[in-house]
Amino acid sequence: MSETTREPDARRLATDARDRVRFEEDALALSDQVYRVARHLVGSREEAEDLMQETYARAFRSWRSFTPGTNLRAWLLRILTNLNIDRGRKLQRTPDQQPLEEGDYFLYNRLEETSDGPSDEDRVVQRLSQNDVVTALSEVPHDFRDVVVLVDIGDFTYADAAQILDIPIGTVMSRLHRGRRILKQAMAESAVGSES
Amino acid sequence: MCNCDECEQWMQPYMDRVLTDAERAEAETHLDDCAYCRKRYRFEAHLRRFVRQAVLEPMPIELKQKLADLRTPLQ
Repeated sequence: MSETTREPDARRLATDARDRVRFEEDALALSDQVYRVARHLVGSREEAEDLMQETYARAFRSWRSFTPGTNLRAWLLRILTNLNIDRGRKLQRTPDQQPLEEGDYFLYNRLEETSDGPSDEDRVVQRLSQNDVVTALSEVPHDFRDVVVLVDIGDFTYADAAQILDIPIGTVMSRLHRGRRILKQAMAESAVGSES
Repeated sequence: MCNCDECEQWMQPYMDRVLTDAERAEAETHLDDCAYCRKRYRFEAHLRRFVRQAVLEPMPIELKQKLADLRTPLQ
């Protein structure tokens, strides 16, 4: 091999290595944000930790398929949700078979009607504990929870969530709508019980 | 007092900022006029912040290290 062909090769390898290092650093810088979502897509901390490691191992292996300038956090979560499904997450009843949930104002009305005397909205929220929320979220069926977690906890747009989960944007909207209602119903039950 | 069944439909899209400008203006006019919905809007906004805060669980430091260890070794 002549000097003239070796030199560009060496340069290319150096550029490649530099791009890879940068990619890995960028991905690691997002790990807290990815974990925040991952933790609530699965049932336990252990599962979330395993899933994070699998996700980063795969991301580092296939870093060339990431298009620079696009949303890296969404790309990582796309890998993560695919792996989560591959791990044999338990099949859920299909959304159509879910019971009808209460309306959007249900939680507020429920908390207000069960409180003593007049209450403002801040005081009504204070009737919920952190544990009520965490428990309620874990009770939301996967299909709905994925969307609620991505949008309300991960701050993803509807379009990002659609891309991450590989579902149409209309499905994101309907699952979000129902998922939030199911979550509120679960919070109401956790905070004040299902009976008046 | 309004047709609050209808308000219940736009409350979440309003908070997600996905209404059109015209719908948004209509929603805001309504919120100015209707104490019932205004109260619920404030609750919903507060609730979202509360939920986000309540489920926050920092990533374990050991996990952060394990992820860093997955990096490709430098030649």
